[in-house]
Amino acid sequence: MKVLLVEDNERVTQFVVKGLQEAGHTADHAPNGRDGMFLAASEPYDVIIMDRMLPGEIDGLAIIEALRKSGKRTPILILSALSEVDERIRGLRSGGDDYLTKPFAFGELLARIDALTRRAQGENAQTRLEVADLRVDLLTRKVTRGNRSVTLQPREFKLLEYLMRHADQVVTRTMLLENVWDYHFDPQTNVVDVHISKLRQKIDVDFERPLLRTVRNAGYTLTSHD
Amino acid sequence: MKIARSSALTLAVAYISLGLAALALFAAPMWYAWRVTIQEGRSEILQSDAQRLTEVFRREGAPGLVSYINARVGLQIAGERLLLLADEALAPLAGNLSAWPATVPPNPGTYTVKLELSGHLTDVALVHATLPGGYHLLVGRDTARYAPLEQRFWYALAGAVAILSVLGTFGGILIRRALMARIDGIRRTVSAIIQGDLSHRLPTHDSGDELNTLSRTINGMLEQIEQLIHGVRNVSDSIAHDLRTPLAELRSRLEELALTRPPTEQTFTEIDAAVTDVDGVIRIFNALLRLAEIDSGTRRSGFVPVDLSAVAAAAVEFYQPAAELRGSSLMLATSGPAPIRGDPVLLAQALGNLIDNALKYTPEDGAIVVEVRTAAYDNSSVEIIVADSGPGIPAEQRPKAVERFYRGDASRGTPGVGLGLSLVDAVARLHGSELRLEDNHPGLRARIVLTQDRPQITRIARATSDQGGFQHEPVYP
Repeated sequence: MKVLLVEDNERVTQFVVKGLQEAGHTADHAPNGRDGMFLAASEPYDVIIMDRMLPGEIDGLAIIEALRKSGKRTPILILSALSEVDERIRGLRSGGDDYLTKPFAFGELLARIDALTRRAQGENAQTRLEVADLRVDLLTRKVTRGNRSVTLQPREFKLLEYLMRHADQVVTRTMLLENVWDYHFDPQTNVVDVHISKLRQKIDVDFERPLLRTVRNAGYTLTSHD
Repeated sequence: MKIARSSALTLAVAYISLGLAALALFAAPMWYAWRVTIQEGRSEILQSDAQRLTEVFRREGAPGLVSYINARVGLQIAGERLLLLADEALAPLAGNLSAWPATVPPNPGTYTVKLELSGHLTDVALVHATLPGGYHLLVGRDTARYAPLEQRFWYALAGAVAILSVLGTFGGILIRRALMARIDGIRRTVSAIIQGDLSHRLPTHDSGDELNTLSRTINGMLEQIEQLIHGVRNVSDSIAHDLRTPLAELRSRLEELALTRPPTEQTFTEIDAAVTDVDGVIRIFNALLRLAEIDSGTRRSGFVPVDLSAVAAAAVEFYQPAAELRGSSLMLATSGPAPIRGDPVLLAQALGNLIDNALKYTPEDGAIVVEVRTAAYDNSSVEIIVADSGPGIPAEQRPKAVERFYRGDASRGTPGVGLGLSLVDAVARLHGSELRLEDNHPGLRARIVLTQDRPQITRIARATSDQGGFQHEPVYP
């Protein structure tokens, strides 16, 4: 995956670029708005990570607006120290696809850009999702593991659907909160973990190979690979 | 303050000018009406005079009229009335004018002309009539007779103007003095506030005049500012107090690591622990920022119609597995949709915090009930109640429980940073309410009373039925 990072802070840049390279991605870096604008407009990237406050005249949101106006559909993740709800809304309205506030965990950033590129590849109108022998029929809302049928509550179904759509990717607790429950706040306790373990009870227990796995310091992943 | 800039003086000058303009507008029609009346009256008198003389002529002929005129001229005061009878060639036959005035037009009619009478050129109103046989008759009056009257009118007007100007100026000065005295009071108070003492308030009294109303409004503003500053001070105190501890721990952990240089495996464990420490600090920091954001009141602009019952149902569903895990029961009791105007994210967070608290403090096999209902005493209000069967909070500690970073005796040894209830209270206050903590016999009963949003009922009802009872519409994309 080819990633563009537009960020003026050197420490953050070094941290992100190194992390991306270790995860097997290639990363270009622009330290200011002008270079960022130039690279974003001229090179094909799979995803752009954009800081909001940049040195020089062009800030992150202006670049995003300009790119969107010129028809570029590259997924953009906004990285910002501005954490207020209104700022988040402004960022997404300008054309950003996701918003992550600093300080952030690298795992969270990586999981989110993975999700963004997956989304960009098109969530074509699938009616069936499959991971190994776990099958979800989105029309009949039937879930089966092997040849055993699994009964899920509506919210559990939504949780599983999200995990299946992001199969083989790491999904963080915050992503689950935002996308499954539409909760944009920190619920203090580990409620998401409890939901996951309940789901695990239903789809993984009694099966030799667990599909829903915990990724340390990051979140969860639904995968058939080891 | 310069006099020229005084608003009171400007006001007085404007009022005086306005008064003068009004006076002029009042006097002009009067003056006109008066003049017209006098002129018309005068020419009527002259006309009837000429009529009478014409009749004398008709009865007694020219000689009769000559003797009549002579008799009249002899009787009257000179100059009051002008009489002249002239023949065809305009040669005077009788009267008190020595010659036919050249300024009188040759045709009969009523004129005002200038004549030289006893050495003075004066305005004279004349009636020129022609008599049978080519005789000319002139009857006139000296208008100078009315000049003193006219003069008196102008004098009176000038007097009125003078009185108006003097009184206006004087009144203006008095008003300015009174105004300046009050404004100076306001200015002194404001200067004291600028110097940093926010406890000052503007003097007010019971009257509802403009300055008093303004003073009260400013006092209200000062109240708000003082509260906000107090809030900011509180937050910074809290930050200083509560971030210092985890930061100190983090620092010692890292320093120890640098000093002892343990084997690689242990180093990684320590680094992981340090990252967890930092996450804890960030979490407190975010909670504080969120509180500050709520306290600033700016979120109020994002209010939308919300169904509290749906928010509560979603929150209960969210925490249900956690309750099950603890062996507690978490129940929801609602009486249909409860529409209000509010911030759905903050309301969900507040409810979440209340349930989370209840779960934390309720012993295993405890019971938590979340209730959304129309208030018993007032059906325009909606109550949210989260009641638990835990140890509760002693009555004397309840007011403190809402304070930032307060952690009661019962909370020792449980996770949390002590911001949960203050966040709930902040959210309640943003929605024009407050968090009330009551005794649940046993346990704690947290209650928030919100105003129902009546005009939106139908719309919300439809929205919820469309979405199977929950509002899933993402308010924040």
